[in-house]
Amino acid sequence: MEQSHGAILALTGGENKTKIEPMVSTPLVPSGPIASGLAPSGRIRELLDDLPETLAGYIRIGVPEATPVSRLGTGIEALDALLMGGFPRGGLAEITGPLGSGRTSLALTLLAETTRSSGFAAVVDAGDAFDPGAAEDAGVELARVLWARAPALPTALRCTERLLEARGFALVVLDPGDLAPARGRIAFDPATLQRLQRSAASSGTALVCVGNERRCGNYSSLTLRVHESRPHFVADPDWLEGMQARIALERSRTAPPGGSVLLQWKVSPLACGLSVRAGPPGRRGATSSA
Amino acid sequence: MVSEPGSRAEVLSASPEARRAGVHPGCALAHARSLCADLCARVASPSQEESAHQALLDVALSTSPRAERAPACTGARAGEAAVYLDASGLESLFRSETGIATALVTRAAALDLGATAGVASSRTLAHLVARRAALRDGPGATGVLPREREREFLSPLAVDWLDPGDTLAETLTRFGIHRLGDLFALPRPALASRLGPALLERIDRLRGTRGELPLRAPASTRFEESCDLESPIDNLEPFLFVLRGMLSRLLARLALRHLACDELTLQLDLSGGGRQQRRLALAAPSTDLRVLLRRLQQALESAPPEAPLEFVALSTAGAPARHDQLDLFRPAGPAPAALDALLAELESLCGNDRVGAPSLPDDPRPGAFAVAPFEIGEQRAGDWADSARLHLADRPERGTPWLGLRALRPPVVARVRLRQGRPAWVQSAVARGEVLRCAGPWRATGGWWSPDQRFAYDSYDVATADGLLIRLRHDWLKRHWEIDGVYD
Repeated sequence: MEQSHGAILALTGGENKTKIEPMVSTPLVPSGPIASGLAPSGRIRELLDDLPETLAGYIRIGVPEATPVSRLGTGIEALDALLMGGFPRGGLAEITGPLGSGRTSLALTLLAETTRSSGFAAVVDAGDAFDPGAAEDAGVELARVLWARAPALPTALRCTERLLEARGFALVVLDPGDLAPARGRIAFDPATLQRLQRSAASSGTALVCVGNERRCGNYSSLTLRVHESRPHFVADPDWLEGMQARIALERSRTAPPGGSVLLQWKVSPLACGLSVRAGPPGRRGATSSA
Repeated sequence: MVSEPGSRAEVLSASPEARRAGVHPGCALAHARSLCADLCARVASPSQEESAHQALLDVALSTSPRAERAPACTGARAGEAAVYLDASGLESLFRSETGIATALVTRAAALDLGATAGVASSRTLAHLVARRAALRDGPGATGVLPREREREFLSPLAVDWLDPGDTLAETLTRFGIHRLGDLFALPRPALASRLGPALLERIDRLRGTRGELPLRAPASTRFEESCDLESPIDNLEPFLFVLRGMLSRLLARLALRHLACDELTLQLDLSGGGRQQRRLALAAPSTDLRVLLRRLQQALESAPPEAPLEFVALSTAGAPARHDQLDLFRPAGPAPAALDALLAELESLCGNDRVGAPSLPDDPRPGAFAVAPFEIGEQRAGDWADSARLHLADRPERGTPWLGLRALRPPVVARVRLRQGRPAWVQSAVARGEVLRCAGPWRATGGWWSPDQRFAYDSYDVATADGLLIRLRHDWLKRHWEIDGVYD
């Protein structure tokens, strides 16, 4: 096997032969866009000529075809454009930002879009911070969400692994339960990350970790940072209208990092602009003003 | 098998090897040890024998829908347990009657039961065939008796095989009748007048001339494994070792019946006479030993028994594993069987009632939530449709970013300074500083009819100087301020 200028020469097994990893599928004589820069060089040509004729049918040359990455959209056009379509399925992604920045809102938006279109999602909640009322107000189909209230972070990671291994979930959101910025080592164990990444890739699930800081290092294929959050109140009477936040693309394997979008999070009309829903049984959503 | 610990115990039953050495039921253990130096004595446990008998019945029910336990044996065969099953029509499944018998002993061996199986035209005869096979070849033996060879099989057997009582056995010996063939040769009226109609009934059953009532399907499907602990256990680790064995046997029995475990009932008898019963409901039927053992461990760790344990029983009703039909017009989810295993394992990791679909109960209390069973089957199809219809009108517009809330459970207590009756400064573990903007209050009260459910809150949306947007509320009943969520 030899590599030259990005080209890969590989032997692939035939009938009754020991199988050597089939690495490429482009024909022996390159054509199309690959052919232009990848005509077999002199050394490769010599190697090919030296090989027995019987092996010729098993030799391919070219670049492995890039598998198109399936993505989970957020439903927000500007953000999806920044992310080249959305969060990658089969990979790890991180949403980072300090408490109150809007990272939970972004995760809920993704959950809502996923449950409304793509299928089932799971929330592994080590901080017991998932609020079903707020999730439903954001448009999440609660019946399609599996909520695991893990008592501690190691348990949450184990739950996440099992969810990925079970397959069938389009999205798994892992909330490590960060409230304050952590001191000392905060990154996940590399062995755990490797297992998570492998399981996510084989199940085609998008794994999204929400936290204060980056914990997945280079295992993350997408990292978003939410910052510059600013609440919006309407005066007279004082009324919470929403919150503005900037979402910056810190790391991406498919898109150039550095871009950002400014989003205006709104208070859901289901919440009537109020945080508290109270009233007699059967009238959820009723509120009273003092 | 002996009646009690100690050398005063009485032998209840003995293996063929021990019998050959002269050990017989009824003799003292000390005497038995003098006859057989390598004697291995086990204290009889009625509860374990009962579990083994039930397991044998499960083996029978795994091949035939009609099976029932044989009446308890007495005298020298007191240690024997038997079950009858209706094998008619099973030849097509097991190819032959020998195949049925072999399948039965193989399945029993999988439960660590050294059983023998006999196939014959009547229950009593099949019992004798199995007993004969056990004597000849030991545990795991099988025997099939064709109808034309019944007389040939029965004639040479001793009259003891008829299970006569002590009195009848003595009378038969006095009459010089030692073999069943001799008994069958005697005229029936003379036998009836001298030895009573009961003997005739036994003979008729043995020869298959008296009709037998059909076997019943079992009325209850409760599976139970129990164990009398020889010495009380006061430590979790050795107790888990005992539980593991019981649970694995229980799961093996369930597997024979193609069932899974959807709830577990643990009964503990304590030293000093106390008794505890704990019921563990599982998120989904499971047959995973590791998962179920972890649930039991969690239950015991969360509420340890107050005294050492003397007896333990583990039971379950058994539930069929889910086989939901997926739908082309519904989003693909995890496979039903995999989902069951997943839910059970997640619950064993997270704890009881901590895994499922989030739901909003009909409860006016702020922040009220519930965890419903997570299902992907047909049952939820209607719910989804209803939900979709209900939400069409008031659902948030798609593509609009809605502000989310991060709940704080339990709420974080805060110190608040007021200015003109409104929060002006907050100090807590989450947020601290001057209040920049404040919306509210919104009063929520309810549950006035019950002291436990009563609540009264004044809630505010508060922006603090440290950049947080919090949900601050004043609890009028506890007379303090707390933060129950952060807009995030």
